[in-house]
Amino acid sequence: MSTPSVEMGGDVSKSLVGWKRITVIILSVTVVMAAWRIYQQLFAWDMGMDSFEPEFQTYWMDLLYAQWIIEFTLAAVIWGYILKTRDKDVFNITPQEELRRYFTLLAYLVCYVFIVYWAASFFAEQDASWHQVTVRDTDFTPSHIVLFYGTMPAYILAGVAAFLYARTRLPQFAENISIPFVIAVVGPFMILPNVGLNEWGHTFWFMEELFTAPLHWGFVVLGWTALALGGLLIQIILRLIALTKLDDEVLVTEDMNDDGSSY
Amino acid sequence: MSAVQSAITTAEQQHRIYKAFDWVVIPIVILVITGAFHIHAMLTMGDWDFWIDWKDRRWWVTVTPISLIFFPAALHYLLWTNFRLPFGATLSCSVLLIGEWANRTANFVGWAYFPLNMVVPAEIIPMALCLDAILLISRSLTITGIIGSMVWGVIFYPSNWALIAPYHVPIEYNGVMMSVADLIGYNYVRTGTPEYIRIIEEGTLRTFGEDVTPVSAFFAGFISVFMYFIWLGIGAWFAKTTWAKRI
Repeated sequence: MSTPSVEMGGDVSKSLVGWKRITVIILSVTVVMAAWRIYQQLFAWDMGMDSFEPEFQTYWMDLLYAQWIIEFTLAAVIWGYILKTRDKDVFNITPQEELRRYFTLLAYLVCYVFIVYWAASFFAEQDASWHQVTVRDTDFTPSHIVLFYGTMPAYILAGVAAFLYARTRLPQFAENISIPFVIAVVGPFMILPNVGLNEWGHTFWFMEELFTAPLHWGFVVLGWTALALGGLLIQIILRLIALTKLDDEVLVTEDMNDDGSSY
Repeated sequence: MSAVQSAITTAEQQHRIYKAFDWVVIPIVILVITGAFHIHAMLTMGDWDFWIDWKDRRWWVTVTPISLIFFPAALHYLLWTNFRLPFGATLSCSVLLIGEWANRTANFVGWAYFPLNMVVPAEIIPMALCLDAILLISRSLTITGIIGSMVWGVIFYPSNWALIAPYHVPIEYNGVMMSVADLIGYNYVRTGTPEYIRIIEEGTLRTFGEDVTPVSAFFAGFISVFMYFIWLGIGAWFAKTTWAKRI
């Protein structure tokens, strides 16, 4: 056996959560989301009602273009950094290092699902409130610019980053492709292309605004794919159990199909 | 692949790692369920949930329980078969309500300026508690699906009696009789106004007197039973730990 690529010192069980990085993630995402929401509060009703006005171009279309530039830049930098700094000897790391990397992956997933919350819950239903009081004259409404072209690219960025991290740093994920991980990232990602169907439909039928209209059900089905994170978490748990097994430990298993007669 | 070496040597370390994992994984589970369940809910039964004047005796009572049993069933499979945790329904419904309340107050009220009592979400915790309790007592997903899902659908309307009662008081307004909920709806004009996009009380329902709501509730329970089993299967599919060499 060759020398492990990374040797770790100290007690591996301490400071695994990484409260500092979790706090930074939560605060950073919250600040960005709050900024978007405050911007809407300040400029949506005064500058965002009529897309043919010059003010709309200044306050909303320029925001959209700025978002696109920032998102593409961040994706190139973050994904490029993860790939560039990949572990070229990933199958030869110590169990301690692998354990730490699993908690780093979990931190990536915290970032991913926190943005998913803002996109799929907060800003998605906010879109309903906007369309209940205004009739759209553009695909790029103040709610859509934040929801579809802000928060959704943001969680795609985080989700793909998490996948790339696992693929380049964790032996199990480097050796094989985790299907639930692929589903949990690609499914919500596909919600963005589904916006094309949504906008096509809204330019075809006047339906302001029946939120439960079948036109919207593409979002629903693709939203279900987030449940695949359950399969991914089980994969992670199974590996963590192996990485934290004690020498004299007897694994206790329960017959999950019991009928309760033994109780 | 060779056998995995352990990273630790003591039970204390193991306990510390398990606690650390809990601290991180619980927020992940809560946040992803909030997002995924909320977007499902708002786009399958949202309109009835948004507005007090949509909370009727036919569609609201029928659509809401059927739509909302999807995620509790999937989580029952995931959490019960893998971890023996019997709170999939209560967890999913609780976080859904948190997501809904955050949005209704910050956006429906704080941005679109609807009054809060017009946009209060439906009460769904009692149904979730019953579904989970039946799973806990029976230890059987089959019994939970048959009995629990029927209870789930049937008690939805009674769970909301206290919420909607003040808004179903009849009033006369300009010579027309309507409910308080109707009046609120007429005063807060939405893009779908007037009546054509408000899907309530359709068909011959109004000729059936008082038994309309129980019929709708039992129908919701009946369909919820089927949906529960379908979503157990979908939950099982999503919980698979499949690895592939290439995709």
